[in-house]
Amino acid sequence: MSVPPIWFWSFWHWSTEGFRADALLRGPIQGIGGHWDEWYRHEASIEERHAIDETGRTARGQREFIGWLVRHWAHEAQWRGEHPPARFVLAQLASLAPFDAWHGFDRYRTEYGVGGIAAVVLEEGSQGEAADVRHVEAIALPADGDSTSPPVVAEGFTADATDLRTVRDATRNVLRGRGLAFLLALWTALGRRPYPTSVAVMLASGWVVAAALIVRLLVGPDPGTSLRMLAASLAALWAMLVISGLAVVSAVAVQAWRHGRRCAEQLDRSQLRLRMEGGLSLVGGSAGLPFCINALVSVLRTRSARQSWLWNRVERGIRAEWRHWAATGVITADGRVRAVAVEAKLRAVLAHGGIAGMLVPRRRDAGEPSTSRPIPSAAAAPNAPSPRPRGEPPARRLGFAREMVSVRNYRCGHVAQAVMTVGALTSRWQAATRVLAVAVSVVMLAALPDLRAAVFPEPSPNVIAPFSASPYQVWVSLDARHADEFSVVLESRFWANRRAPVVAYGGASAAPRAELQLQRLPGQLTGDIDDGTVWVERRRRFLTREYAPGERVGRYSLSYVARLHE
Amino acid sequence: MNRGVPIERLLRWRHGQAEADAPPAPSAEHLLELARGWWERWPERFRAQLMRLRQMPLAYGYAMSPSERDRRGHPVPTLVADAEDVETYTRVTYINVREARFRMRFQVEGAAIRPHHAFDAIFVSDASESPLCAALAVRSHADEYRVDVDLPGHLVESWGALRVTDQMPFRMILRPTDAL
Repeated sequence: MSVPPIWFWSFWHWSTEGFRADALLRGPIQGIGGHWDEWYRHEASIEERHAIDETGRTARGQREFIGWLVRHWAHEAQWRGEHPPARFVLAQLASLAPFDAWHGFDRYRTEYGVGGIAAVVLEEGSQGEAADVRHVEAIALPADGDSTSPPVVAEGFTADATDLRTVRDATRNVLRGRGLAFLLALWTALGRRPYPTSVAVMLASGWVVAAALIVRLLVGPDPGTSLRMLAASLAALWAMLVISGLAVVSAVAVQAWRHGRRCAEQLDRSQLRLRMEGGLSLVGGSAGLPFCINALVSVLRTRSARQSWLWNRVERGIRAEWRHWAATGVITADGRVRAVAVEAKLRAVLAHGGIAGMLVPRRRDAGEPSTSRPIPSAAAAPNAPSPRPRGEPPARRLGFAREMVSVRNYRCGHVAQAVMTVGALTSRWQAATRVLAVAVSVVMLAALPDLRAAVFPEPSPNVIAPFSASPYQVWVSLDARHADEFSVVLESRFWANRRAPVVAYGGASAAPRAELQLQRLPGQLTGDIDDGTVWVERRRRFLTREYAPGERVGRYSLSYVARLHE
Repeated sequence: MNRGVPIERLLRWRHGQAEADAPPAPSAEHLLELARGWWERWPERFRAQLMRLRQMPLAYGYAMSPSERDRRGHPVPTLVADAEDVETYTRVTYINVREARFRMRFQVEGAAIRPHHAFDAIFVSDASESPLCAALAVRSHADEYRVDVDLPGHLVESWGALRVTDQMPFRMILRPTDAL
């Protein structure tokens, strides 16, 4: 706009100063309609009225004024630290002189122009018509100091105040309470992550490589000396993937929690305005779910969501796709979605033709997961052919092929699920990657001791007490922290060769030991009863698989070990 | 057709015919009657409504003490004299007295009150049996009604200091103009 409309600033200052001077009861935002009417009728000077007329004289001037209001005035004007919502201001002014004669305001006379997913509210006696799919908009206004003013205002319809308060409570719950915890849990399990596709592919590849390494270690050939390298690679890869995943989840969750808290506080300071066409008196709360989602977006819209990837994504997702969504469902204050009858509503959505997805409560008769069928017109039902008597040949009837209208139903048990769906936060292949990640992580946690033993082997242990007093049994007790990573081997020409694992037998003073049963060889190669060597060697394992024995780290003569107790 | 009739004679003839067809002029007494307010024409009804209005409490009993920033304003006891008299409250949303001109906006509370295009608004007080002033309250934006009237001299000073958050020194009787 070449010349900023000073007259609008004059009005705004009159309004704010009038409020401060207690000449006006409503704040400059909530009462902007009445304030403008008063200012224009009685306070505007002749020059200002002339300038207003000049602005509205041409369609271009009207467009420029609207653009200035949205792009400049709404960002510069402030009331109690909040910027006035431009769409609300436009909608309020649209029905007042002289704007009621400006064609540029036409679209704001029936809507705020902020968008919102539709509610399916059946008119009395309706079997499900296209008109029952009703456009819903929500806007959050800075509340005035009037504690008696309703926290939620219905425009274009009437509803029970309790139902409207429930909408507000459920919205707050998703922003701050258990609903947010549920949303974060859902997103952690199934949600899209805030990195580009290339990074997502790289991370998914990392998990696949980790899974492949596990399979290689479990069923592949004995890695021999490369076990340490393989184990180190697997552990490092897994640690990197887990740390990066947890870091991303933690960062997004903390951001979402902080931003959600700020938005919940904003909601407490705001008055919600819900607008729905039709002039209906709502009976029942089945519009609660669309009201709640739209209210959530309206609050998110009041604050820049750039600091929270999750909320930013929700807002942008719904803002981009609201035209194709409808919803029905009774909500509770804690955000749960309760069942409603949906058959006629599905018919209405199919008849509407512009809806691609519908959020319905989680219930058995809510329809199939995907609905693709011709519109079952209620008007056509009375003309349907009567049942054919048995035995009578079918009459030849004409069939008019028509394009199938497809509406996909999404069942939601909680508002958080609905937010995940309409916000396009769910990613199937990323969820599949996460299943793989969980499986790999479970295996890795179970295999961590084996991997540690392979990468960071214990120092060589010493043989310590206790010792066996039996002449036919040798105990080899070790002073190792992880003694089960060792086994003991007896090699003798008099006694049968034995290999025994080192096992913790319990007891306060009992060190883990290997128990070797001494049994004479049938064909002894020597007559020396003390002939033999006791070796301590490392075990090489991965979960259930035991590889060939590893490095020998201790050597003792049998006579030494057998007579230590003496 | 006789073309020889002068135009002046034709006009006199037409004028005489119009006078003969016109309804008789209202009498001065009837005009005075029309100029009187309805409360003067039906004083008994007005008195009954006034009595009923005075029995209404001046303010709600709030369970919580209002905070400093709480701007709820004081509700004005109001009687809507529609098909049946309905007791309700109005909330003054704007008040201004400038050069003896009284401008006020108010909203009628209560969903049971049917919106009207305009009300004949009578301002009454507890002290006087006659109205303080009367004005036409025209429906404005969002169920708000506006009043724009010259204020009697004795009210200019006291009402000129009023703020919307003050308790109003009047009660109102609203009579829909289409019911008059």
